[in-house]
Amino acid sequence: MWSRLSTLWRALRGRPEFEDTLADEIRDHIDRYVADLIAAGASPAAARRQARIEFGNVDNVKADCRDARGLRVFDEAHQHLRYALRLLWKAPVFTATSVATLAVCFGACLTIFAVVDAILLRPLPFPNADQLVSIYNTYPRAGVPDDGCSITNYYERRGRLSAFSGLAAYRDGAVIVGQTGQTEREFITRVSPEFFDTLGTSPLVGRAFTDAEMTYETANSAIVSYEYWQEHFGGAASVLGRSIRIDGSPATIVGVLPRSFRFLSSRSRIYLPLASGADERTPDMRHSGNSTRMIARLAAGASVALAQAQIDAHNAVVERTDRQAKLIADAGFRSLVVSLHGSHVAAVRPMLLLVQAGVLFLLVIGGVNVTNLLLIRATARLKEFAVRQALGAARRHIVAEVAAETALLTLIGGIAGVALGAAGIRLLVTLGSSRLPLGAHLGFDVRLAVAAIAAALATGLAMALPIAWYSVRNYSSSALHAQARGTTASRSAQRLRHAFLITQIALSFVLLAGAGLLATSLMNLSRVAPGFQSAHVLTGQVSLPWARYAKIADRLVFIDRMMDSLHSQPGVVAAGVSTNIPLSGNSNRSAATVKGFVLPPGESIRANYAYAVAGDYFAALRVPIVSGRALTGDDARLGNHVSVVDEDFARRYWPAGNAIGQKLFLGSEEGPDTEAYTVVGVVGAVKQAALSEQDALGAVYYPYAERFDNALYVVTKTSQEPDAFARTLQRVVRGLDPELPVNNIRSMDTRIADSLITRRSPAVLAMLYALIALLLTAIGSYGVLGYAVVQRRREIALRMALGARPDQVRRQFVALAGRLIAGGSIVGIAGAWMTGRAMQALLFQVPPLPASIVVVTAAVLATVCLAACMLPSWRAARIAPSSALAAE
Amino acid sequence: MGKTVDVLPGTLDMLILKAVSLRPLHGYGVLLRIKQISGDALDIPQGSLYPALYRLETQGLIAAEWGQSENGRRAKYYTVTASGHRRLRQETDGWNRLTAAIGAALNTTPDEV
Repeated sequence: MWSRLSTLWRALRGRPEFEDTLADEIRDHIDRYVADLIAAGASPAAARRQARIEFGNVDNVKADCRDARGLRVFDEAHQHLRYALRLLWKAPVFTATSVATLAVCFGACLTIFAVVDAILLRPLPFPNADQLVSIYNTYPRAGVPDDGCSITNYYERRGRLSAFSGLAAYRDGAVIVGQTGQTEREFITRVSPEFFDTLGTSPLVGRAFTDAEMTYETANSAIVSYEYWQEHFGGAASVLGRSIRIDGSPATIVGVLPRSFRFLSSRSRIYLPLASGADERTPDMRHSGNSTRMIARLAAGASVALAQAQIDAHNAVVERTDRQAKLIADAGFRSLVVSLHGSHVAAVRPMLLLVQAGVLFLLVIGGVNVTNLLLIRATARLKEFAVRQALGAARRHIVAEVAAETALLTLIGGIAGVALGAAGIRLLVTLGSSRLPLGAHLGFDVRLAVAAIAAALATGLAMALPIAWYSVRNYSSSALHAQARGTTASRSAQRLRHAFLITQIALSFVLLAGAGLLATSLMNLSRVAPGFQSAHVLTGQVSLPWARYAKIADRLVFIDRMMDSLHSQPGVVAAGVSTNIPLSGNSNRSAATVKGFVLPPGESIRANYAYAVAGDYFAALRVPIVSGRALTGDDARLGNHVSVVDEDFARRYWPAGNAIGQKLFLGSEEGPDTEAYTVVGVVGAVKQAALSEQDALGAVYYPYAERFDNALYVVTKTSQEPDAFARTLQRVVRGLDPELPVNNIRSMDTRIADSLITRRSPAVLAMLYALIALLLTAIGSYGVLGYAVVQRRREIALRMALGARPDQVRRQFVALAGRLIAGGSIVGIAGAWMTGRAMQALLFQVPPLPASIVVVTAAVLATVCLAACMLPSWRAARIAPSSALAAE
Repeated sequence: MGKTVDVLPGTLDMLILKAVSLRPLHGYGVLLRIKQISGDALDIPQGSLYPALYRLETQGLIAAEWGQSENGRRAKYYTVTASGHRRLRQETDGWNRLTAAIGAALNTTPDEV
């Protein structure tokens, strides 16, 4: 087999040489024979004639020789392709339209598929990545679907469950790295010792962390990424043992990670030990998530179900002695084991699939469009085919010719599509695909190109099939008649064309309506009142390193000085700090217990958002004070045990409206009165996690104090453009403490826009698809109507000759267009309704198919299609009666 | 020239292999050689010779090489490859068995039944 292939390859490669050799050889043969015949006594002329006769037709012999080499198939293919190329060249408008249609559709498909492939399909870049799982605690009835895990969970579980071959905990964070004056805020991940091992990787040089490093006293080592090593140490081998300054304290580098290592979508370049104190590992802290997360690797042969069963059983055992067992159980507590990859991309998965489905729709529309155009061409050539078949052309040849034409079209379209797709992918990368989980994996590669070309050829085949079938089947004597028009053959072709156009209109309808649904949803969302005023508000993050700000007094002094300094800047209207801000992406919830509140039987405690604020936080965001007063800088400075709640919280606990003066406790149980926070005010509710947020969980605001996070958001309301204030903010903070960088600086308007990105991008893409689909449908309508006019030219001319008025003729074609559009729209409405239902989960306050969308979609489609049909109808009306005689 | 017979279908390849196996030959030489070794009894249709040569070459049973012919012209010379030799032996054995069997069958007298 191989030797044959290689001979064939040699023969193909050396094709011109092969032909020369063959000709030489045959000439030589005849010459020798002639010479022998002359030697035997024949006259040269007679010898030459006899030699020719005996040898037979040289061309036939040559063809047989080529056949023997297996070259004939290629010869024919070559011939067909050249013929197809000539035909396409002679019809530039058709060719350009088809190639452009296919290129745009393939390009769009490829771009989106690349995203789907990078995010959903390709396994995570770890060995046996399908064994990796994430385990998280969920309290659905308390309004906390995902609370990660606790340090206690980690110490209780590790090494005890046979379903896992490795189990690790990690927590993302940020630290200040570097010397005074050149500090940077770096994202870091704190990890337990087995973290890298669980992922199936190990440091390139050095070692992973050890158990001994997991306490606050001993956690002074660090592992850096390959890039960090190259950038800051020039890749020097002596990096181990070197020290980097983290939050003002030295940490020794003990390892460097492999070049390609990246944990999911993490931006961390430095890994630190996940340190904890003995108090954090006690059973009492089992349900204190604190942003810690758990990953694990399933043991060989263990399934997710087995792992889930073991986790459930283990939870049941440890929960038996839990002080708050009932409370936890009432909240619907469970620890869920899910695929690491699946859970990481779960949020974007439906949107990505939707966008992919949309682009596939577009491809079908484009394919139907080109098929229809091809069909019109095939109809025009039907007579030629019939004549050729009658003269003995094999069906195989005609099919091959049609196939060659479509193959050529799709190949050119496919290659152009790959180029477009590659450009689209590059565009997406620069536009910030890295904001999508695993989006950084996006890239154009050979694999994608090959898949795209293969898909293009498959599409070509799918398009060639109906045409070839049609061309061969309609070979009949009727097609041979000079007046093939009006015969059954052309009527079936017309039905097919109309069916294709109706399909195209219906699919475009669905796409348009889908885009409309997404746009409506986006519009509904942007009309949602967030509960605060985003205009002219700049926000940034500052982390106060524990080493120098361990005491609350030091932190409060810093905050006070920062507030004073900010207020003295020109243009500052109000400034405040908070441990969290709306739409920050961090929607951690915690518990608050209201003094004297008795949980109705069967109900669970509810989590709420908790903010610790200082300065004029409410004024900066213009959160309205409903009753009582706001928290002030004094509350934080003096350590007042007061709090402010939002309307949602107040409504749940004090429906009578008597919130002011009530007492509540931080945490899920009541404490001594000295720890109670007295409610001094009620403020308006804000959208914390997303504008689409529906469950009013409520929020409690505390004065910033000892027990709260040291990472602070600075919120400033200015009279100038907020982005212009960024530099001032950084300068002010550096002026107070040269080691403190401010990052994550974004205006509140930007944060709102960013929070909608997973909704805006699909809506924008869908609009784009809808626009292309509209254009394609216009082309399709024009093509079909235009052909109908050409085909019935004689009939129209005859009717005009007999007295039909031009507007009657025009009306006839407009009516045909109207029927096709109506047919397509009716099918389209059904499709759009089903699509709308399928999309429900992705829409915000949009019914499956609002009447307004149906009306607008139908109106737009009808206008565009009718406009496209106008030109041919117009032309029909201008056919001169005399042309009836001239045409044939 | 004595009486000639047509080659049996399928035997041309065998004859070409045999002819070429004796010494390398160019196309016309193959024709002459088959005539010669068959005692002028076999007549090869000239037109079918070249497709057969190309088929055998494609199958890897013979190999072609350019060389100088006796009259000083460039000619394509065919030689038998190792697998060609093997094929020739198989075909010869098969042919001998076939002719022996057919001969035996055709020479059977009534007494022997």
